[in-house]
Amino acid sequence: MSKPRVAIFDFACCEGCQLQIVNLEEEIIDLIGVVDVVEWREAMSEQSHEYDIAIIEGSITRPEDEHRLQIIRSRAKVLIALGACAAIGGVNKMKNNFDFNEVKRCVYGKDAEMPHLATTTTRAVHEVVPVDFTIPGCPINGEEFARVVRELLLGKTPTIPDYPVCVECKAKENVCRYEYGEICLGPIIRAGCGAPCPTAGWRCFGCRGFVDNPNVDAAKEVMEKYKLTVDDLKQKMVLFNSK
Amino acid sequence: MSVNTVSKDQFKQFVAALIASEPSVVGVQAKGDRFVFDDLKSADALRLDYDVSILSPRKYVMPQKETLLKFEVGGDCQSVQDGKPLILLGVHPYDMAAINQMDELFSQDEYDTHYMCRRRQITIIACDVVSPSKNVFASSMGTATVQHGYDMLLTDVGESIIVEVRTDKGRVLMNHMPAARPASEDDLAKRSAVWEKNQHVLNKHVLECKPSYLPKLLEKNYDHPVWEEKARLCYSCGSCNQVCPTCYCFDVQDVVNWDMKTGSRVRVWDGCLLENFATVAGDHNFRKNRSSRFRHRLYRKGKYVPGKIGGQIACVGCGRCITACTADIANPVNVYNQLMERTDIG
Repeated sequence: MSKPRVAIFDFACCEGCQLQIVNLEEEIIDLIGVVDVVEWREAMSEQSHEYDIAIIEGSITRPEDEHRLQIIRSRAKVLIALGACAAIGGVNKMKNNFDFNEVKRCVYGKDAEMPHLATTTTRAVHEVVPVDFTIPGCPINGEEFARVVRELLLGKTPTIPDYPVCVECKAKENVCRYEYGEICLGPIIRAGCGAPCPTAGWRCFGCRGFVDNPNVDAAKEVMEKYKLTVDDLKQKMVLFNSK
Repeated sequence: MSVNTVSKDQFKQFVAALIASEPSVVGVQAKGDRFVFDDLKSADALRLDYDVSILSPRKYVMPQKETLLKFEVGGDCQSVQDGKPLILLGVHPYDMAAINQMDELFSQDEYDTHYMCRRRQITIIACDVVSPSKNVFASSMGTATVQHGYDMLLTDVGESIIVEVRTDKGRVLMNHMPAARPASEDDLAKRSAVWEKNQHVLNKHVLECKPSYLPKLLEKNYDHPVWEEKARLCYSCGSCNQVCPTCYCFDVQDVVNWDMKTGSRVRVWDGCLLENFATVAGDHNFRKNRSSRFRHRLYRKGKYVPGKIGGQIACVGCGRCITACTADIANPVNVYNQLMERTDIG
């Protein structure tokens, strides 16, 4: 059996999730042993139009991105959304909260009207083309990425957790941030990261997006219990989970 | 087998000797403003005055992740039993009661060699509670003190510590405590006083019925409004399951190596409050609603597990779920008492 051809593409992102793949270190040799990487701008100079698996990093923010993504989708048998930007739109979606002309002026100043800076509503990859598998996170968890790739190659259907970060946070014996009167997005955000942020004394910032069925109705009463408000909670969601 | 007395200094020397000579000693110690069981590096780090640990010592008898077997696709597989000698120091009576239940559960039906192999190599030094935690209700559950399961039981009676040796494993450890003398009548009286007191004070939430009534109480209340009322706020985060000393449900996963041939089958903690706990082949989830999952946990503790272990209630009153539940709905005592309000249990 020939090795599946893999191409990695980036859209609007910091390319940090690709870097997490590079950071697999010894494992990257194993990875390259089982797939044929035919295009990966961050790690090699070759390009190809023929691939089986397309890995997409980044969100779709410009009119021309949509077209490029559609071409990639039409060529790939399997398409994977990699990282928060691709999976949920991520920090790039913060732009959607503002007037786009104002955003462009703020970011690019006098060059704002240059044609290549045309911007549109930021979308996650699945909001533009069908996505087969998602590996969320900012950045991705390298271990989860490696597992999903191996399962895919074995013909299994890879799954990622559909339970909140609290599961992994409790396993690390962290004290709930709410006990200290602080907001944490853990109870509604998808686990799989291993709760590194609460373990380091922060809150969950929500980079892996919501679980499939978050209990949003509970928010008001639960926030009141901690003398917090739904608005406090919403503010914390702007960073990774703007609409 | 024997009951001895040592001074606190002598006890500290005993702990130091254990750390120096035994392969692995785990003890309860501070983590920030809370307590955890962790590898014990020095006798000074041991905190037998702790109120409750964040996770129970179940993480040592049933690790969060353990390898059950190694396999090769299309080839052989080998069972893995990786228990190593371990001393667990500072287990509270309610947690000891929970481990006793797990010992029973894992040895019945399909005898679980992985669990039992590990368990046999663990020596448990239990200790009576000195500082009640803010949500403990062990007095209500009959687990404020414990009568068996441990190899050694420590009771702090002020100036000295009473050391009860229960098993051969415990007796061997007494070699590290040369200064111990047989407990006097007075020492035993002091210990009884501690037990008497704990049977009343470890009761921050008061269950309004005998624990033995719970199976009957639950039997009559499958459709009680409390399930929906509480579960409305449930995040399905499974925090109550994670911190519970008697939760033992697990998921089994196969992890394949990069050679795409060899791999291992691992067992990891699961939790019945999690949305997909009851999802089976074909994506069917037979406990889809939050309320059915919420109800299941309380039934499991108060009716289903007791049915397997001679009526012992599978809630030992540690109160960890009460502290861990962000939405403040997990308190079993609140739920059971609410059921009591309108149920004639005869």
